Amino acid sequence: MKKVMYLEFERCIGCRSCQAACRECGGHDAKERNYVEYIDFFESRQTFPMMCMQCKDPACAKVCPANAIQITEEGVVLSAMEEKCIGCRNCTFGCPFGIPKFDFEENKMYKCDMCYDRTKYDISPMCASVCPSDAIRFIDHDEMMELRRRRTQMNLIEGKKPSENDKWQYVPEFFGVYSD
Amino acid sequence: MTQFVVKPGVKNLQHDGEKLITTHCCYCGMQCGMHIRVNEKTGKVVGVEPRYDWPVTLGKLCPKGVTAYQTVDHPERITKPLIKKNGKFVESSWTEALDLIEKNFKELQAKHGKDALSVFGGVSMTNEKCYLVGKYARVALGTRYVDYNGRFCMSSAAGGFMKTLGIDRGSTLPWPELEHTDCFFMAGSNTAECHPTTIQWLWKARDKGAKMIVADPRETPTARIADVHLDLKAGTDSALANGLMHLIVKEGYVDEEYVNERCNNYEELKTSVEKFTPEYTSKITGVSVGKLVKAAHIFGRSPRSVVMFARGVEQQSKGVDNVCLYTSMALLRGQIGKFASGVATFTGQGNGQGGREHGQKADALPGYRKIDNPDHVNYVSGVWGIDPAEMPKAGVSAYEMFDEIQKGNIRAMHVICSNPAVSAPNNHYIWDGFKKLDFMVVSDFFLSETAEFADVVLPATTWAEDEGTTTNLEGRVIRIRKVKDPIGDSKTDWEIMKLIAERMGKGSYFNYDNVPQIFEEFRIASKGGKADYSGMTYERIENEDGLFWPCPSEDHPGTPTMFQETFGTPDGKANLAAVDWQEPNENPSDAYPHILTTGRVVFHYLSGTQTRRTDFLMEQCPEPYAEMHPHLASKYALQDGDTVFLETKRGSMSVKARITKAIREDHVFIPYHWGKELSVNKLTNPALDPTSRMPEFKVCAVKLKKA
Repeated sequence: MKKVMYLEFERCIGCRSCQAACRECGGHDAKERNYVEYIDFFESRQTFPMMCMQCKDPACAKVCPANAIQITEEGVVLSAMEEKCIGCRNCTFGCPFGIPKFDFEENKMYKCDMCYDRTKYDISPMCASVCPSDAIRFIDHDEMMELRRRRTQMNLIEGKKPSENDKWQYVPEFFGVYSD
Repeated sequence: MTQFVVKPGVKNLQHDGEKLITTHCCYCGMQCGMHIRVNEKTGKVVGVEPRYDWPVTLGKLCPKGVTAYQTVDHPERITKPLIKKNGKFVESSWTEALDLIEKNFKELQAKHGKDALSVFGGVSMTNEKCYLVGKYARVALGTRYVDYNGRFCMSSAAGGFMKTLGIDRGSTLPWPELEHTDCFFMAGSNTAECHPTTIQWLWKARDKGAKMIVADPRETPTARIADVHLDLKAGTDSALANGLMHLIVKEGYVDEEYVNERCNNYEELKTSVEKFTPEYTSKITGVSVGKLVKAAHIFGRSPRSVVMFARGVEQQSKGVDNVCLYTSMALLRGQIGKFASGVATFTGQGNGQGGREHGQKADALPGYRKIDNPDHVNYVSGVWGIDPAEMPKAGVSAYEMFDEIQKGNIRAMHVICSNPAVSAPNNHYIWDGFKKLDFMVVSDFFLSETAEFADVVLPATTWAEDEGTTTNLEGRVIRIRKVKDPIGDSKTDWEIMKLIAERMGKGSYFNYDNVPQIFEEFRIASKGGKADYSGMTYERIENEDGLFWPCPSEDHPGTPTMFQETFGTPDGKANLAAVDWQEPNENPSDAYPHILTTGRVVFHYLSGTQTRRTDFLMEQCPEPYAEMHPHLASKYALQDGDTVFLETKRGSMSVKARITKAIREDHVFIPYHWGKELSVNKLTNPALDPTSRMPEFKVCAVKLKKA
């Protein structure tokens, strides 16, 4: 897998297409594994998407007493294996991003697998494919690094220069999720 | 013809035992490209695959688009004709249903004359079908009373474009050019929710530094990031446009050369905008002077700008004036007919553009011809093979058909692809009209709120069970492919019209065995008209990623950019609008102190007949709500989630309050996708625009109380 997932929160328009599309992925059992939330609907309509960071050393897998959470050779953190998962929900509490979901009927955990059946062929995951605002993208690592530097470029074009008081405004706010 | 169309090098996921069929979404005017996944063994529709290589949307879909396929094999589909017996629907055969329709239609016409029948059409269907609705009404039934739900959707844009530019094509430029625009002026469009896949082009332009000015009483996702958010009061668009043009003229931003060469009425416009000083405009619109001045400077200085608008400005009793004035803003800057600039309306319905061009409108004939023009009548009569003297005269607009029902002139109605019981304003009047009818037929694939009033419901097919073409919001004609055979006994709308025509003794005029035959006739019918499709073939549409009308011959490349040399008016010049501001039909008073405005949410489409039956969409947005500012809410001691009772002169409803600062303090917003007790259209004002006959959905006076 050469590509990375790239999130640009402020592009999000809150349409929840990514969630609808997540249900469409083969093997997702029509249950979405990603999140779109309002920052504060009282104040504004700004929303942001949230999905698995596919951590290098994932807390969910680490805290799993049954060793049910497998990581593919590309680094994709998969849902708990059905035959191993004991339904303890340690993973849902262990994840610092609150990503894994728990199916109380089936008594097992499920989470984003980056649409592994698509991404293993370098086809974009469903969420990134449909996202109408490009808040979620599946792009080359180099392209991601270029995008991260763009805000600073735009500021310079507009003649703004960071000062000691506002230099934080010039830090790229975006980040990518990538395996290797 | 090819079923699966994909460009070299584009990868799609093909599951084992499945095939992909390339088509477009059934919902809004974006007509997003998609492939539908079909199980080869069962023939059932099982999912959707993004169409990455469709140039307008690049595989992007909104949640409605992602779930659109779920309506095709839906358990609630009507699969047999239904006849109402003792107040209950009973399944019947086609013969029985058609017998009943024939008997009633013929009896009513014998007793009350030809015009006792009426047809209420819709534009969420293909060009072929929309074309046939006009012919069906006028030839098969011989009635003058035909109109369609476009009157509730974009007829003001059509009227305004006709007046100013001479031709009504929703967008004067192709969508992918938006990426290169320097400034967007967007009025009354909640683009992020109503046309989400447009956002990618807007955001790409923003990445390059494009400016954005958004006029909306609500702080929509586009307004939130805009350089200037003109938070105007609903119904004050013409004042806002006049105010901005006042500044454009005063600050010397007018492209004098363009205006002198290509426009009429410049002097009149200058006189009429003179009084709209920023202070005066601010007083009417509620937008601060600073914002007006900033917006005018940004817009005036942008080398390439696009003026865009949607239902917010159109669904007003002055909708046509608003469209003319906003279009004039683009004309003053010399933008129309150039690269990455121009004017566009966001067409709401899937085939809102194509469906309004070919004779479903009370006064129109195919190819944007007019029924009051004898030459036009002669031409179309020739194509149809009827005597021009038999062509019925112009009818009345959609809402006015219900006046005719009340007067007893219309005794029966055939509703095709529409749900006016939810989507028409002043619902109580509409419901009463349906009850007054002697006989009512509805063609639909779900039992809509309108269908519940019917005597006979005919099972129609979904978009995936028939082929044809639609025209998207750019004016690009595209191919809809048949994905599977119709379920149960359902039939396509064109087959239904053909069967009824046969029963009315007019079968020889509807001698079609397949859709391409209708398309061939429709090409000839549109030939020579303003919306000329005669050079288009299914092969060309497929090979050339769609074709833009006008396309008058098979070697014509189509017209992506309109008005490059000349406008569609008789003298070839655009008519700048010199129109004063007029207040909305209903204004807040002591009894009804606040402004109610309505609109859409991203999870639902129009009257919700389809989207309210889709699980994901209903989970996200199960019921309407009243969005209001905390300042207004606190006047009535309302907390978020409290039930609020709203009442206008026409009706009332109770909904939950949803509180946010992203709306003007004096406005309440309610989405309209629900029927019966949840329908906000019980409250809306049916005041019509004098030209377009479009009702004023967007502004009425309301009172609230805590329920």
